[in-house]
Amino acid sequence: MSGPNPLVDDRDIAFLLHDVHRAEDLVAYPAFAHHDRETFDLYVDSVRRLAREALYPAYRTMDEHPPRLEPDGRVRAHAIMHELWPRMVELGLISATRPEAVGGMALPLLVSTAADVYSMAANLAAFGYVGLTRGAAHLIEAFGTDELRERFMTPMLEGRFTGTMALTEPHAGSSLGDLTTKAVPTEGGHYLIRGSKIFISAADHGITDNVVNLTLARIEGAPAGTAGISLFAVPQRRPGDGSGDDWVDNDVHVTGAIHKVGWRGLPSLALSFGERGDCHGWLVGPEHRGLACMFQMMNEARIMVGLNGVATASVAYHESLAYARERAQGRPLGDKDPTRPPVAIVEHADVRRMLLRQKAIVEGGLSLVMQTARWADDAAHGPPHARKRAAALLDFITPITKSFPAERGYLSNTLALQIHGGYGYSSEYLPEAWLRDQKLNSIHEGTTGIQALDLLGRKVLREGGRTLALLAEELHAAVAEAAQAGVDPRLGQALQGAMTTTAELVAHLGALAQANPTEALAHATDFLDLLSTVVVAWQWLRQATVATRCLEGLASGRGREGFLRAKLATAECFFDAELPRVAALAHRCRHDRSYVELDPRWL
Amino acid sequence: MKILVTVKRIPDPDESLKFAGNAIDTSSSKWVANAFDEYAVETALRMAEHIGNKDRLAEVIVCSVCPKDKRQHVTQFLAMGADRGVIVDADETAMDSQTVAKLVAEVFRREGCDLLVSGKLSQDSEGNEVAQRAAGLLDLPQASFAATLRWDRGANALTVGREVDDGVETKTIPLPAVVSVDLRIVLPHSVKNGATADDHKYSDGARLASLRGITMAKRKKVDVHTPAALGVTPSSHVAVAGVTAPEKRAAGQIVDSAQTLVNKLITEAKVL
Ligand SMILES: Cc1cc2nc3c(=O)[nH]c(=O)nc-3n(C[C@H](O)[C@H](O)[C@H](O)COP(=O)(O)OP(=O)(O)OC[C@H]3O[C@@H](n4cnc5c(N)ncnc54)[C@H](O)[C@@H]3O)c2cc1C
Repeated sequence: MSGPNPLVDDRDIAFLLHDVHRAEDLVAYPAFAHHDRETFDLYVDSVRRLAREALYPAYRTMDEHPPRLEPDGRVRAHAIMHELWPRMVELGLISATRPEAVGGMALPLLVSTAADVYSMAANLAAFGYVGLTRGAAHLIEAFGTDELRERFMTPMLEGRFTGTMALTEPHAGSSLGDLTTKAVPTEGGHYLIRGSKIFISAADHGITDNVVNLTLARIEGAPAGTAGISLFAVPQRRPGDGSGDDWVDNDVHVTGAIHKVGWRGLPSLALSFGERGDCHGWLVGPEHRGLACMFQMMNEARIMVGLNGVATASVAYHESLAYARERAQGRPLGDKDPTRPPVAIVEHADVRRMLLRQKAIVEGGLSLVMQTARWADDAAHGPPHARKRAAALLDFITPITKSFPAERGYLSNTLALQIHGGYGYSSEYLPEAWLRDQKLNSIHEGTTGIQALDLLGRKVLREGGRTLALLAEELHAAVAEAAQAGVDPRLGQALQGAMTTTAELVAHLGALAQANPTEALAHATDFLDLLSTVVVAWQWLRQATVATRCLEGLASGRGREGFLRAKLATAECFFDAELPRVAALAHRCRHDRSYVELDPRWL
Repeated sequence: MKILVTVKRIPDPDESLKFAGNAIDTSSSKWVANAFDEYAVETALRMAEHIGNKDRLAEVIVCSVCPKDKRQHVTQFLAMGADRGVIVDADETAMDSQTVAKLVAEVFRREGCDLLVSGKLSQDSEGNEVAQRAAGLLDLPQASFAATLRWDRGANALTVGREVDDGVETKTIPLPAVVSVDLRIVLPHSVKNGATADDHKYSDGARLASLRGITMAKRKKVDVHTPAALGVTPSSHVAVAGVTAPEKRAAGQIVDSAQTLVNKLITEAKVL
């Protein structure tokens, strides 16, 4: 019998956090000088335990009993959230990475990532409240006045309020420039907000006394498009006119609760602001710069969504691994003796194919998110000369970090279901629930299509490939290091080949963009897929290099030997199963004109 | 009031066992705190704290016999809320329980403690000896396997509900004393100190170390002694002859009726 689902492999966390991404190096940065390996490990350990002991056991009931809009116009989260929320707050999940000056503990994002992945794998919806509150508080920390910080940020960091991001409107989803929620200035310094939003997650739940909606709206008379959008803090309850602690209703109404496919423990709501003309909002950051400010939260959220994708694939992978070890079915090929007992399905090569493919996506994706977090730490707190480079790489990689785990994670989740056979297709078993959860990750925080336009249009072509060249330097260095460590040269050569293919394709698309920008971008999503594959192959090469070094001098059968050998096999799997797609995708980007020229009327 | 709590690091019991020849291979083990020691520290903290007030009713000192650079478990307990630590710098894996008990008793004496709280056993060796031996060495009353505990501060005594084979035995012992705790001591209402409201509901289980606690733990005092400085010569009355994996359980049988089962239990298993 195997134990309960571990959610994430502890050995992999130790390997990625310490051996590959070298968390201990961060202690040399003044911002992190009060930490050491022990504080990092202890924090990850506490969160891992909370995830296993409290968050995961609550997952199924939260999925089965989603919050509804009650007759009193309010939405109430599952009762169990009232127990989980204070425990997550108490451990420090909301404020972990914030500086001590605002009540945080200045933990590197890299370490917080290694901890968060457990919470997300355990219960994506429960963690959603934390993630949103974190991002909303950080927005006010970065752009709000002292007064707003005290009024809204501190209560959010202390878990007394929660936060949301309120961007989407029924007619303005991917295209935020079209949003119409209005803000009218008043003499009192606040604005009166009026409009409707949709899909706003955690906008009402009853877990805390108040919810602060970080809302995008257009100040009366502002220019059209994205240049006329401003950011406001619009609380559910606002401070009353008298001084002291009286908080009054702020004219924010829930008009509907979305019946969701997954993430069912977290309500996503339709809201209307200012039905009585009495909804107050406070400007955060400069007028008309709202979208730029909001991008801070969106970029953080995109990295978080990448980790959501990894975590959701990870928990399903572990479930299918345990199932494959236990489920007896069939006999080895060639064994025709029906009196012999059937073997566990893990003995079948095809089942191992499905397991290894998942492992390659999960652990490759996790390494990608950790790399991104490491750049975020370097960009914010690293040695001054290295900050610009890290910031550029962070910005460049974000659409990949957001979408690879969502897209390939979905494949991974279908494999976990497949390993369960017919039982996987039953809601008695959990893989179908994770498959439902995973699907959201390619939609929210900017769909994969939007990430692709961002990557190819804004980050590769408009920049003339400048940051792509920085990334290529990193990859070349990794190839050289792999060769030095004695990694199978096939891997380094394959990555080198894929980089050449990419460089040639970028040159081709660059030339095409001069003549016909629309056509150059028509294959943006294929390009995103291609570059994501190259980048994750790079992460696998780095892991193979470290594993090879750790194996040196390790006696057979000792220590981490099995784990490290599996690492090498998984790297090989990624190079053989995923990397060859690069050539096909490049071909498609150059030659497939089917949908570029297709007349929509023909469909 | 000074409470000394014994704490130990052990190879993660959730990992599958690996062997190196005649011994267990711990070279890649993750070392974690013994779960029963977490219950012991939780017990001491519930005794010491006065919920709703800032005052503390006792000082909680955690004591571990371990190499001084392998103290992550000690930091963990300081992060949970213990006030300070004492490390006896030694390779505990090479010591028998009697030596460990002598070291603990000596720390208890030197610190002038009023209460020793231990987990009932450590999950690696499952010896269940240290608390009882320490009580003997210190010549103090003891209550082992505590599932409930009430501290009567006026009478300077503890009333302990002990989990024994045939139920729960309630014992009142005067302080100073030794208590070893069982799993149920961390239920929401198991520990009462006469200050925190009797109906206060604690979270089920030992508390986790928060990030703030972890960061603060680094600033707490930890004294390091050697066995020699404590006047204890490590002895080993117990020698490990060898370690082997238990025999694999054979596959079960599925029988077609209750009658067959009864017959088999009588004739094959011979248990009826
Ligand atoms: C469960 C859930 C929770 C959410 N939570 C929040 C939240 O908390 N706060 C919030 O503000 N929003 C939230 N959203 C909204 C989410 O961010 C949007 O759904 C998303 O941005 C897509 O917008 P849309 O639904 O209007 O789709 P559309 O923009 O209509 O897109 C439909 C399709 O068209 C494609 N498309 C659109 N425009 C282009 C283009 N220019 N080029 C190429 N393809 C294009 C898209 O890729 C997509 O495939 C949530 C959504 C869901 C489902």
